[in-house]
Amino acid sequence: MDLRWGILAGYGPLFAEGLWATIELTIVAITAGLLLGVLLGLVSSSRDAPPPKSVALAMVLKAARALTLGYVTFFRGTPLFVQILLVHFAVMPTLIHPDNGLLLAGEAAREFRQSHGAFFSGALALTLNAGAYISEIFRAGIQSIHGGQTQAAYSLGLTHGQAMRHVVLPQAFRRMMPALVNEGITLIKDSSLVSAIGFAELALAARTVAGAYSRYWEPYLAISALYLILTLLLSSLAKRLEAPAHLRGR
Amino acid sequence: MTTYTTRRFLQTAGLLIAGIVLSACSKQEAPKTAAAPAASAPASAPAPAAKVYVVGTDAAYAPFESQNEKAEIVGFDIDVVKAVAQKAGMEVKFVNTPWEGIFNTLQQGDRDLLVSAITITPERQQSMDFTAPYFDAQQLIAVKQSSKVTKFDDLKKLKVGVQTGTTGDEVVTKLQGKNSTSIKRFESTPLALKELEAGGVDAVVADNGVVINYVTNNPAAKFKSIADKAFQPEQYGLAVKKGNAELLAKLNKGLADIKADGTYDQLYTKYFGAPPAKAAAAPAAAASPASK
Repeated sequence: MDLRWGILAGYGPLFAEGLWATIELTIVAITAGLLLGVLLGLVSSSRDAPPPKSVALAMVLKAARALTLGYVTFFRGTPLFVQILLVHFAVMPTLIHPDNGLLLAGEAAREFRQSHGAFFSGALALTLNAGAYISEIFRAGIQSIHGGQTQAAYSLGLTHGQAMRHVVLPQAFRRMMPALVNEGITLIKDSSLVSAIGFAELALAARTVAGAYSRYWEPYLAISALYLILTLLLSSLAKRLEAPAHLRGR
Repeated sequence: MTTYTTRRFLQTAGLLIAGIVLSACSKQEAPKTAAAPAASAPASAPAPAAKVYVVGTDAAYAPFESQNEKAEIVGFDIDVVKAVAQKAGMEVKFVNTPWEGIFNTLQQGDRDLLVSAITITPERQQSMDFTAPYFDAQQLIAVKQSSKVTKFDDLKKLKVGVQTGTTGDEVVTKLQGKNSTSIKRFESTPLALKELEAGGVDAVVADNGVVINYVTNNPAAKFKSIADKAFQPEQYGLAVKKGNAELLAKLNKGLADIKADGTYDQLYTKYFGAPPAKAAAAPAAAASPASK
Protein backbone atom coordinates (compact mmCIF):
# COMPACT_ATOMS: atom_id res chain seq x y z
CA MET A 1 0.00 0.00 0.00
CA ASP A 2 1.44 3.29 -1.04
CA LEU A 3 0.45 6.32 0.91
CA ARG A 4 0.45 9.66 -0.84
CA TRP A 5 0.10 12.10 2.01
CA GLY A 6 0.78 14.90 -0.44
CA ILE A 7 -2.80 14.85 -1.64
CA LEU A 8 -3.92 16.17 1.74
CA ALA A 9 -1.57 19.15 1.64
CA GLY A 10 -3.82 21.41 -0.43
CA TYR A 11 -6.77 20.68 1.84
CA GLY A 12 -5.19 21.94 5.08
CA PRO A 13 -7.67 24.77 5.67
CA LEU A 14 -10.63 22.49 4.92
CA PHE A 15 -9.46 20.02 7.58
CA ALA A 16 -8.74 22.83 10.06
CA GLU A 17 -12.19 24.33 9.58
CA GLY A 18 -13.73 20.87 9.69
CA LEU A 19 -12.00 20.13 12.98
CA TRP A 20 -13.23 23.39 14.46
CA ALA A 21 -16.76 22.76 13.21
CA THR A 22 -16.69 19.30 14.81
CA ILE A 23 -15.54 20.76 18.13
CA GLU A 24 -18.20 23.48 18.06
CA LEU A 25 -20.92 21.02 17.18
CA THR A 26 -19.91 18.62 19.94
CA ILE A 27 -19.63 21.30 22.61
CA VAL A 28 -23.07 22.67 21.78
CA ALA A 29 -24.61 19.21 21.71
CA ILE A 30 -22.95 18.03 24.93
CA THR A 31 -23.98 21.16 26.83
CA ALA A 32 -27.55 21.21 25.56
CA GLY A 33 -27.82 17.43 25.84
CA LEU A 34 -26.66 17.57 29.44
CA LEU A 35 -29.27 20.18 30.35
CA LEU A 36 -32.00 18.26 28.60
CA GLY A 37 -30.81 14.99 30.10
CA VAL A 38 -30.76 16.31 33.68
CA LEU A 39 -34.23 17.70 33.28
CA LEU A 40 -35.66 14.51 31.79
CA GLY A 41 -33.69 12.35 34.22
CA LEU A 42 -35.22 14.17 37.15
CA VAL A 43 -38.67 13.82 35.63
CA SER A 44 -38.36 10.09 35.06
CA SER A 45 -36.87 9.42 38.49
CA SER A 46 -39.66 11.38 40.15
CA ARG A 47 -41.65 8.17 40.26
CA ASP A 48 -39.72 7.14 43.38
CA ALA A 49 -40.14 10.49 45.11
CA PRO A 50 -42.92 11.03 47.63
CA PRO A 51 -46.04 12.16 45.71
CA PRO A 52 -46.57 15.94 45.63
CA LYS A 53 -49.31 17.34 47.80
CA SER A 54 -51.39 18.97 45.08
CA VAL A 55 -53.27 16.65 42.76
CA ALA A 56 -52.74 18.89 39.75
CA LEU A 57 -48.98 18.75 40.14
CA ALA A 58 -49.13 14.98 40.44
CA MET A 59 -51.06 14.79 37.17
CA VAL A 60 -48.60 17.06 35.40
CA LEU A 61 -45.68 14.97 36.62
CA LYS A 62 -47.39 11.81 35.47
CA ALA A 63 -47.96 13.24 31.99
CA ALA A 64 -44.36 14.50 31.87
CA ARG A 65 -43.10 11.03 32.78
CA ALA A 66 -45.15 9.46 30.02
CA LEU A 67 -43.85 11.98 27.49
CA THR A 68 -40.28 11.44 28.63
CA LEU A 69 -40.66 7.70 28.31
CA GLY A 70 -41.92 8.07 24.74
CA TYR A 71 -39.15 10.48 23.87
CA VAL A 72 -36.39 8.32 25.32
CA THR A 73 -37.79 5.22 23.67
CA PHE A 74 -37.80 6.88 20.27
CA PHE A 75 -34.35 8.44 20.43
CA ARG A 76 -32.65 5.39 21.93
CA GLY A 77 -34.45 3.00 19.62
CA THR A 78 -33.78 4.59 16.25
CA PRO A 79 -30.42 5.19 14.54
CA LEU A 80 -28.85 8.58 15.00
CA PHE A 81 -28.15 8.70 11.27
CA VAL A 82 -31.87 8.47 10.58
CA GLN A 83 -32.62 11.08 13.22
CA ILE A 84 -30.19 13.51 11.57
CA LEU A 85 -31.77 13.04 8.15
CA LEU A 86 -35.25 13.28 9.66
CA VAL A 87 -34.46 16.54 11.42
CA HIS A 88 -32.71 18.15 8.49
CA PHE A 89 -34.78 17.05 5.53
CA ALA A 90 -38.20 16.70 7.14
CA VAL A 91 -38.60 18.58 10.41
CA MET A 92 -36.57 21.68 9.61
CA PRO A 93 -38.08 22.34 6.16
CA THR A 94 -41.50 22.26 7.80
CA LEU A 95 -40.48 24.83 10.37
CA ILE A 96 -38.08 26.94 8.36
CA HIS A 97 -38.80 27.25 4.66
CA PRO A 98 -38.58 30.23 2.30
CA ASP A 99 -42.08 29.59 0.96
CA ASN A 100 -44.18 28.31 3.82
CA GLY A 101 -42.13 27.71 6.97
CA LEU A 102 -44.21 27.47 10.12
CA LEU A 103 -41.67 29.27 12.30
CA LEU A 104 -39.67 31.25 9.80
CA ALA A 105 -40.41 32.04 6.18
CA GLY A 106 -39.22 34.28 3.39
CA GLU A 107 -35.76 35.75 3.03
CA ALA A 108 -34.92 35.24 6.70
CA ALA A 109 -35.58 31.51 6.38
CA ARG A 110 -33.36 31.25 3.32
CA GLU A 111 -30.63 33.19 5.07
CA PHE A 112 -30.84 31.06 8.20
CA ARG A 113 -30.92 27.80 6.33
CA GLN A 114 -27.92 28.76 4.22
CA SER A 115 -25.62 29.97 6.92
CA HIS A 116 -26.66 27.89 9.91
CA GLY A 117 -29.09 25.26 8.64
CA ALA A 118 -26.88 22.20 8.66
CA PHE A 119 -25.18 23.18 11.91
CA PHE A 120 -28.51 23.80 13.59
CA SER A 121 -30.08 20.55 12.37
CA GLY A 122 -26.97 18.59 13.29
CA ALA A 123 -26.73 20.12 16.75
CA LEU A 124 -30.45 19.60 17.34
CA ALA A 125 -30.36 15.94 16.31
CA LEU A 126 -27.23 15.25 18.39
CA THR A 127 -28.71 17.09 21.39
CA LEU A 128 -32.00 15.22 21.26
CA ASN A 129 -30.16 11.93 20.94
CA ALA A 130 -27.66 12.67 23.71
CA GLY A 131 -30.46 14.03 25.92
CA ALA A 132 -32.24 10.69 25.76
CA TYR A 133 -29.15 8.73 26.77
CA ILE A 134 -28.08 11.21 29.45
CA SER A 135 -31.52 11.19 31.03
CA GLU A 136 -31.21 7.44 31.43
CA ILE A 137 -27.73 7.82 32.92
CA PHE A 138 -29.23 10.28 35.39
CA ARG A 139 -32.19 8.14 36.29
CA ALA A 140 -29.94 5.14 36.84
CA GLY A 141 -27.47 7.23 38.85
CA ILE A 142 -30.16 8.54 41.17
CA GLN A 143 -31.77 5.16 41.59
CA SER A 144 -28.42 3.57 42.38
CA ILE A 145 -28.23 5.48 45.63
CA HIS A 146 -29.66 3.23 48.31
CA GLY A 147 -33.10 4.15 49.54
CA GLY A 148 -31.83 4.12 53.12
CA GLN A 149 -29.91 7.30 52.40
CA THR A 150 -33.05 9.29 51.59
CA GLN A 151 -34.87 7.70 54.53
CA ALA A 152 -32.04 8.80 56.80
CA ALA A 153 -32.11 12.29 55.29
CA TYR A 154 -35.88 12.56 55.89
CA SER A 155 -35.48 11.41 59.48
CA LEU A 156 -32.97 14.19 60.02
CA GLY A 157 -35.70 16.60 58.95
CA LEU A 158 -34.55 17.30 55.41
CA THR A 159 -37.20 17.90 52.75
CA HIS A 160 -37.15 15.81 49.58
CA GLY A 161 -35.49 18.62 47.68
CA GLN A 162 -32.83 19.04 50.32
CA ALA A 163 -32.23 15.31 50.47
CA MET A 164 -31.74 15.23 46.71
CA ARG A 165 -29.43 18.25 46.67
CA HIS A 166 -27.25 17.42 49.65
CA VAL A 167 -27.35 13.65 49.92
CA VAL A 168 -28.39 11.84 46.75
CA LEU A 169 -27.16 13.96 43.84
CA PRO A 170 -23.57 14.51 45.04
CA GLN A 171 -23.10 10.77 45.35
CA ALA A 172 -25.03 10.00 42.19
CA PHE A 173 -22.94 12.45 40.16
CA ARG A 174 -19.76 10.63 41.01
CA ARG A 175 -21.26 7.37 39.90
CA MET A 176 -22.54 8.92 36.69
CA MET A 177 -19.21 10.37 35.66
CA PRO A 178 -17.82 7.36 33.74
CA ALA A 179 -21.10 6.92 31.87
CA LEU A 180 -21.29 10.62 31.06
CA VAL A 181 -17.72 10.67 29.77
CA ASN A 182 -18.57 7.67 27.65
CA GLU A 183 -21.56 9.55 26.24
CA GLY A 184 -19.35 12.55 25.47
CA ILE A 185 -16.88 10.36 23.60
CA THR A 186 -19.71 8.73 21.68
CA LEU A 187 -21.04 12.15 20.78
CA ILE A 188 -17.68 13.33 19.39
CA LYS A 189 -17.49 10.26 17.19
CA ASP A 190 -21.14 10.35 16.16
CA SER A 191 -20.84 13.96 15.05
CA SER A 192 -19.21 12.51 11.93
CA LEU A 193 -22.68 11.38 10.83
CA VAL A 194 -23.69 15.00 10.37
CA SER A 195 -21.59 15.02 7.20
CA ALA A 196 -24.60 13.35 5.57
CA ILE A 197 -26.45 16.66 5.51
CA GLY A 198 -23.54 18.52 3.95
CA PHE A 199 -22.25 20.17 7.12
CA ALA A 200 -18.56 20.91 6.59
CA GLU A 201 -17.13 19.10 9.60
CA LEU A 202 -14.15 16.79 9.87
CA ALA A 203 -15.66 13.74 8.19
CA LEU A 204 -16.88 15.80 5.24
CA ALA A 205 -13.36 17.15 4.72
CA ALA A 206 -12.13 13.57 4.42
CA ARG A 207 -15.02 12.61 2.15
CA THR A 208 -14.22 15.56 -0.06
CA VAL A 209 -10.66 14.36 -0.56
CA ALA A 210 -11.79 10.76 -1.01
CA GLY A 211 -14.33 11.89 -3.58
CA ALA A 212 -11.81 13.96 -5.51
CA TYR A 213 -8.99 11.40 -5.60
CA SER A 214 -10.74 8.08 -4.99
CA ARG A 215 -8.13 7.45 -2.33
CA TYR A 216 -9.25 6.30 1.07
CA TRP A 217 -6.29 5.53 3.36
CA GLU A 218 -4.88 9.02 3.64
CA PRO A 219 -7.98 11.13 4.36
CA TYR A 220 -9.67 8.65 6.68
CA LEU A 221 -6.49 7.79 8.59
CA ALA A 222 -5.88 11.50 9.05
CA ILE A 223 -9.30 12.19 10.53
CA SER A 224 -9.12 9.00 12.63
CA ALA A 225 -6.04 10.50 14.26
CA LEU A 226 -7.84 13.80 14.82
CA TYR A 227 -10.93 12.14 16.34
CA LEU A 228 -8.64 10.05 18.53
CA ILE A 229 -6.92 13.18 19.81
CA LEU A 230 -10.29 14.76 20.59
CA THR A 231 -11.62 11.74 22.49
CA LEU A 232 -8.35 11.26 24.39
CA LEU A 233 -8.40 14.91 25.38
CA LEU A 234 -11.94 14.60 26.67
CA SER A 235 -11.28 11.43 28.63
CA SER A 236 -8.14 12.82 30.24
CA LEU A 237 -10.00 15.97 31.23
CA ALA A 238 -12.79 13.88 32.67
CA LYS A 239 -10.35 11.70 34.63
CA ARG A 240 -9.76 14.67 36.90
CA LEU A 241 -13.46 14.83 37.71
CA GLU A 242 -13.70 11.18 38.65
CA ALA A 243 -13.38 10.62 42.36
CA PRO A 244 -11.00 8.04 43.81
CA ALA A 245 -12.68 4.90 45.13
CA HIS A 246 -12.73 5.96 48.77
CA LEU A 247 -14.72 9.09 47.94
CA ARG A 248 -17.35 7.35 45.88
CA GLY A 249 -20.66 6.73 47.54
CA ARG A 250 -21.55 3.14 48.28
CA MET B 1 -34.79 -18.49 39.60
CA THR B 2 -31.75 -19.81 37.79
CA THR B 3 -33.78 -22.13 35.61
CA TYR B 4 -36.08 -19.27 34.80
CA THR B 5 -33.23 -17.00 33.67
CA THR B 6 -31.58 -19.81 31.75
CA ARG B 7 -34.78 -20.53 29.89
CA ARG B 8 -35.29 -16.85 29.27
CA PHE B 9 -31.75 -16.63 27.92
CA LEU B 10 -32.26 -19.64 25.66
CA GLN B 11 -35.48 -18.17 24.33
CA THR B 12 -33.81 -14.87 23.54
CA ALA B 13 -30.83 -16.59 21.97
CA GLY B 14 -33.14 -18.77 19.91
CA LEU B 15 -35.05 -15.76 18.69
CA LEU B 16 -31.84 -13.97 17.81
CA ILE B 17 -30.49 -16.92 15.87
CA ALA B 18 -33.79 -17.33 14.05
CA GLY B 19 -33.70 -13.67 13.19
CA ILE B 20 -30.17 -13.88 11.85
CA VAL B 21 -30.94 -16.96 9.79
CA LEU B 22 -34.08 -15.37 8.39
CA SER B 23 -32.37 -12.14 7.48
CA ALA B 24 -29.49 -14.06 5.91
CA CYS B 25 -31.97 -15.96 3.75
CA SER B 26 -33.76 -12.85 2.62
CA LYS B 27 -30.43 -11.21 1.85
CA GLN B 28 -29.45 -14.09 -0.36
CA GLU B 29 -32.76 -13.94 -2.09
CA ALA B 30 -32.82 -10.23 -2.83
CA PRO B 31 -30.05 -10.04 -5.47
CA LYS B 32 -31.42 -13.13 -7.20
CA THR B 33 -34.81 -11.61 -7.80
CA ALA B 34 -33.20 -8.36 -8.82
CA ALA B 35 -30.98 -10.13 -11.30
CA ALA B 36 -33.62 -12.46 -12.69
CA PRO B 37 -34.77 -10.24 -15.55
CA ALA B 38 -31.14 -9.79 -16.58
CA ALA B 39 -31.02 -13.05 -18.48
CA SER B 40 -34.07 -12.43 -20.67
CA ALA B 41 -36.06 -15.56 -19.80
CA PRO B 42 -36.47 -17.00 -16.31
CA ALA B 43 -36.08 -20.51 -17.72
CA SER B 44 -32.48 -19.89 -18.65
CA ALA B 45 -31.38 -20.64 -15.11
CA PRO B 46 -29.43 -23.88 -15.75
CA ALA B 47 -26.16 -22.41 -16.96
CA PRO B 48 -23.92 -23.22 -14.05
CA ALA B 49 -20.53 -22.78 -15.65
CA ALA B 50 -21.15 -19.28 -16.97
CA LYS B 51 -19.57 -16.53 -14.92
CA VAL B 52 -22.02 -13.99 -13.57
CA TYR B 53 -20.54 -10.55 -13.90
CA VAL B 54 -21.24 -8.34 -10.93
CA VAL B 55 -22.21 -4.83 -11.96
CA GLY B 56 -21.86 -2.05 -9.42
CA THR B 57 -24.29 0.84 -9.67
CA ASP B 58 -25.33 3.66 -7.35
CA ALA B 59 -29.07 3.31 -7.69
CA ALA B 60 -30.04 6.80 -6.56
CA TYR B 61 -29.67 8.57 -9.86
CA ALA B 62 -32.89 8.40 -11.81
CA PRO B 63 -33.41 8.04 -14.72
CA PHE B 64 -30.02 6.35 -15.15
CA GLU B 65 -30.34 3.99 -12.23
CA SER B 66 -32.73 3.81 -9.35
CA GLN B 67 -34.70 1.24 -7.41
CA ASN B 68 -38.38 0.68 -8.03
CA GLU B 69 -41.00 -0.35 -5.49
CA LYS B 70 -39.98 -3.97 -5.86
CA ALA B 71 -36.37 -3.12 -5.01
CA GLU B 72 -35.33 -3.92 -8.55
CA ILE B 73 -32.62 -1.74 -9.98
CA VAL B 74 -33.94 -0.07 -13.11
CA GLY B 75 -33.03 2.73 -15.46
CA PHE B 76 -31.37 3.68 -18.71
CA ASP B 77 -27.91 2.50 -17.67
CA ILE B 78 -29.32 -0.78 -16.45
CA ASP B 79 -31.17 -1.45 -19.70
CA VAL B 80 -28.08 -0.57 -21.73
CA VAL B 81 -25.93 -3.01 -19.77
CA LYS B 82 -28.60 -5.71 -20.00
CA ALA B 83 -28.76 -5.25 -23.76
CA VAL B 84 -24.98 -5.25 -24.05
CA ALA B 85 -24.77 -8.38 -21.92
CA GLN B 86 -27.31 -10.13 -24.08
CA LYS B 87 -25.32 -9.34 -27.23
CA ALA B 88 -22.07 -10.40 -25.60
CA GLY B 89 -23.58 -13.57 -24.14
CA MET B 90 -22.76 -12.56 -20.61
CA GLU B 91 -24.78 -12.97 -17.47
CA VAL B 92 -24.93 -9.92 -15.24
CA LYS B 93 -26.09 -9.19 -11.74
CA PHE B 94 -26.61 -5.63 -10.50
CA VAL B 95 -25.59 -4.63 -7.00
CA ASN B 96 -26.48 -1.30 -5.48
CA THR B 97 -23.18 0.33 -4.49
CA PRO B 98 -22.84 3.72 -2.81
CA TRP B 99 -21.16 6.28 -5.07
CA GLU B 100 -18.59 7.14 -2.49
CA GLY B 101 -16.13 4.28 -2.79
CA ILE B 102 -17.70 2.77 -5.87
CA PHE B 103 -14.42 2.96 -7.82
CA ASN B 104 -12.66 1.11 -5.07
CA THR B 105 -14.90 -1.90 -5.58
CA LEU B 106 -13.28 -2.49 -8.95
CA GLN B 107 -9.83 -2.66 -7.41
CA GLN B 108 -11.05 -4.94 -4.63
CA GLY B 109 -12.66 -7.27 -7.14
CA ASP B 110 -16.08 -6.85 -5.50
CA ARG B 111 -17.51 -5.69 -8.81
CA ASP B 112 -16.49 -6.64 -12.33
CA LEU B 113 -17.81 -3.52 -13.98
CA LEU B 114 -19.51 -0.30 -13.05
CA VAL B 115 -22.36 1.51 -14.72
CA SER B 116 -23.49 4.58 -12.88
CA ALA B 117 -23.57 7.57 -15.21
CA ILE B 118 -19.79 7.63 -14.82
CA THR B 119 -18.14 10.41 -16.77
CA ILE B 120 -14.93 9.42 -18.51
CA THR B 121 -12.19 11.70 -17.20
CA PRO B 122 -8.41 11.52 -17.64
CA GLU B 123 -7.98 11.23 -13.85
CA ARG B 124 -10.33 8.29 -13.67
CA GLN B 125 -8.68 6.68 -16.66
CA GLN B 126 -5.49 6.46 -14.65
CA SER B 127 -7.05 4.02 -12.23
CA MET B 128 -9.59 2.17 -14.38
CA ASP B 129 -10.44 1.40 -17.98
CA PHE B 130 -13.49 2.70 -19.80
CA THR B 131 -15.51 1.38 -22.72
CA ALA B 132 -16.40 3.59 -25.65
CA PRO B 133 -18.76 6.37 -24.54
CA TYR B 134 -22.44 5.44 -24.46
CA PHE B 135 -24.01 8.75 -23.41
CA ASP B 136 -23.29 12.44 -23.97
CA ALA B 137 -23.80 14.43 -20.82
CA GLN B 138 -23.61 18.00 -19.76
CA GLN B 139 -23.55 19.68 -16.40
CA LEU B 140 -26.56 21.81 -15.62
CA ILE B 141 -27.19 24.41 -12.98
CA ALA B 142 -30.45 23.98 -11.10
CA VAL B 143 -31.83 27.05 -9.36
CA LYS B 144 -35.17 28.32 -8.13
CA GLN B 145 -37.27 29.99 -10.80
CA SER B 146 -36.92 33.29 -8.96
CA SER B 147 -33.12 33.10 -8.92
CA LYS B 148 -31.01 35.82 -10.53
CA VAL B 149 -28.34 33.32 -11.55
CA THR B 150 -27.89 33.26 -15.31
CA LYS B 151 -24.45 31.74 -15.77
CA PHE B 152 -21.95 29.51 -14.03
CA ASP B 153 -19.73 32.41 -12.99
CA ASP B 154 -22.58 33.80 -10.88
CA LEU B 155 -22.10 30.88 -8.50
CA LYS B 156 -18.70 32.08 -7.35
CA LYS B 157 -19.94 33.60 -4.11
CA LEU B 158 -23.03 31.45 -3.56
CA LYS B 159 -23.76 28.28 -1.65
CA VAL B 160 -23.75 25.43 -4.10
CA GLY B 161 -24.91 21.87 -3.54
CA VAL B 162 -23.21 18.96 -5.30
CA GLN B 163 -22.86 15.22 -4.96
CA THR B 164 -19.51 14.35 -3.39
CA GLY B 165 -16.85 13.33 -5.89
CA THR B 166 -18.92 13.89 -9.02
CA THR B 167 -17.83 15.97 -11.99
CA GLY B 168 -20.26 18.61 -10.71
CA ASP B 169 -18.23 18.67 -7.51
CA GLU B 170 -15.06 19.06 -9.59
CA VAL B 171 -16.22 22.06 -11.63
CA VAL B 172 -17.60 23.90 -8.60
CA THR B 173 -14.42 23.15 -6.68
CA LYS B 174 -12.46 24.65 -9.55
CA LEU B 175 -14.64 27.76 -9.49
CA GLN B 176 -14.65 28.34 -5.73
CA GLY B 177 -11.35 26.79 -4.68
CA LYS B 178 -10.40 23.55 -2.96
CA ASN B 179 -11.06 24.80 0.53
CA SER B 180 -14.33 26.57 -0.08
CA THR B 181 -16.88 25.90 2.63
CA SER B 182 -19.68 27.26 0.46
CA ILE B 183 -19.78 23.97 -1.39
CA LYS B 184 -22.23 21.65 0.30
CA ARG B 185 -21.54 18.05 -0.56
CA PHE B 186 -24.25 15.43 -0.39
CA GLU B 187 -24.34 11.71 -0.78
CA SER B 188 -26.68 11.89 -3.72
CA THR B 189 -27.82 14.46 -6.26
CA PRO B 190 -31.49 14.20 -5.24
CA LEU B 191 -30.50 15.08 -1.65
CA ALA B 192 -28.63 18.15 -2.93
CA LEU B 193 -31.71 19.13 -4.96
CA LYS B 194 -33.88 18.57 -1.89
CA GLU B 195 -31.64 21.02 -0.04
CA LEU B 196 -32.15 23.53 -2.85
CA GLU B 197 -35.88 23.08 -2.47
CA ALA B 198 -35.61 23.90 1.23
CA GLY B 199 -33.48 26.95 0.50
CA GLY B 200 -30.26 25.62 2.03
CA VAL B 201 -28.25 26.23 -1.13
CA ASP B 202 -28.63 28.73 -3.94
CA ALA B 203 -27.90 26.30 -6.74
CA VAL B 204 -27.03 22.71 -7.53
CA VAL B 205 -24.65 21.64 -10.25
CA ALA B 206 -25.17 18.13 -11.57
CA ASP B 207 -25.58 16.03 -14.70
CA ASN B 208 -28.34 17.07 -17.09
CA GLY B 209 -30.24 13.77 -17.11
CA VAL B 210 -30.77 13.75 -13.36
CA VAL B 211 -31.54 17.45 -13.03
CA ILE B 212 -34.12 17.36 -15.80
CA ASN B 213 -35.67 14.25 -14.31
CA TYR B 214 -36.00 15.95 -10.92
CA VAL B 215 -37.38 19.16 -12.38
CA THR B 216 -39.96 17.21 -14.37
CA ASN B 217 -41.01 15.06 -11.43
CA ASN B 218 -41.12 17.86 -8.88
CA PRO B 219 -42.93 20.78 -10.50
CA ALA B 220 -43.88 22.05 -7.04
CA ALA B 221 -40.20 22.68 -6.33
CA LYS B 222 -40.27 25.50 -8.94
CA PHE B 223 -36.80 24.91 -10.31
CA LYS B 224 -35.31 25.93 -13.59
CA SER B 225 -32.15 24.60 -15.14
CA ILE B 226 -29.42 26.63 -16.77
CA ALA B 227 -26.90 25.37 -19.28
CA ASP B 228 -23.57 27.14 -19.57
CA LYS B 229 -20.85 26.95 -22.17
CA ALA B 230 -18.30 26.84 -19.36
CA PHE B 231 -19.18 23.19 -18.87
CA GLN B 232 -17.20 20.82 -21.02
CA PRO B 233 -19.30 18.17 -22.72
CA GLU B 234 -18.91 14.88 -20.90
CA GLN B 235 -19.34 11.29 -21.88
CA TYR B 236 -20.38 8.32 -19.81
CA GLY B 237 -18.60 5.00 -20.08
CA LEU B 238 -18.74 1.58 -18.47
CA ALA B 239 -15.77 1.14 -16.14
CA VAL B 240 -13.76 -2.03 -15.60
CA LYS B 241 -10.67 -2.82 -13.56
CA LYS B 242 -7.51 -1.45 -15.14
CA GLY B 243 -6.07 -4.05 -17.47
CA ASN B 244 -9.20 -6.21 -17.77
CA ALA B 245 -8.93 -6.18 -21.58
CA GLU B 246 -11.05 -9.29 -22.09
CA LEU B 247 -14.13 -7.87 -20.42
CA LEU B 248 -13.54 -4.48 -21.98
CA ALA B 249 -13.49 -6.01 -25.49
CA LYS B 250 -16.74 -7.91 -24.79
CA LEU B 251 -18.48 -4.79 -23.56
CA ASN B 252 -17.25 -2.64 -26.43
CA LYS B 253 -18.43 -5.22 -28.93
CA GLY B 254 -21.82 -5.41 -27.26
CA LEU B 255 -22.12 -1.63 -27.19
CA ALA B 256 -21.27 -1.39 -30.89
CA ASP B 257 -23.87 -4.09 -31.61
CA ILE B 258 -26.73 -2.40 -29.79
CA LYS B 259 -25.86 0.90 -31.41
CA ALA B 260 -25.82 -0.74 -34.84
CA ASP B 261 -29.12 -2.61 -34.54
CA GLY B 262 -31.14 0.26 -33.08
CA THR B 263 -31.61 -1.18 -29.59
CA TYR B 264 -29.66 1.73 -28.15
CA ASP B 265 -31.84 4.32 -29.88
CA GLN B 266 -34.94 2.58 -28.62
CA LEU B 267 -33.69 2.67 -25.05
CA TYR B 268 -32.65 6.28 -25.42
CA THR B 269 -36.05 7.26 -26.72
CA LYS B 270 -37.74 5.31 -23.95
CA TYR B 271 -35.94 7.27 -21.24
CA PHE B 272 -35.35 10.67 -22.79
CA GLY B 273 -38.37 11.10 -25.04
CA ALA B 274 -36.47 11.48 -28.30
CA PRO B 275 -33.71 9.62 -30.10
CA PRO B 276 -30.13 10.82 -29.47
CA ALA B 277 -29.14 13.93 -31.40
CA LYS B 278 -26.76 12.21 -33.79
CA ALA B 279 -29.04 9.28 -34.64
CA ALA B 280 -27.14 7.54 -37.41
CA ALA B 281 -28.67 4.09 -37.45
CA ALA B 282 -32.44 4.15 -37.11
CA PRO B 283 -33.89 1.81 -39.74
CA ALA B 284 -33.71 -1.36 -37.63
CA ALA B 285 -36.11 0.11 -35.10
CA ALA B 286 -39.26 -1.39 -36.61
CA ALA B 287 -37.76 -4.83 -37.10
CA SER B 288 -37.56 -6.12 -33.55
CA PRO B 289 -40.22 -5.22 -31.01
CA ALA B 290 -38.04 -4.83 -27.93
CA SER B 291 -39.23 -6.95 -25.05
CA LYS B 292 -39.75 -4.02 -22.65
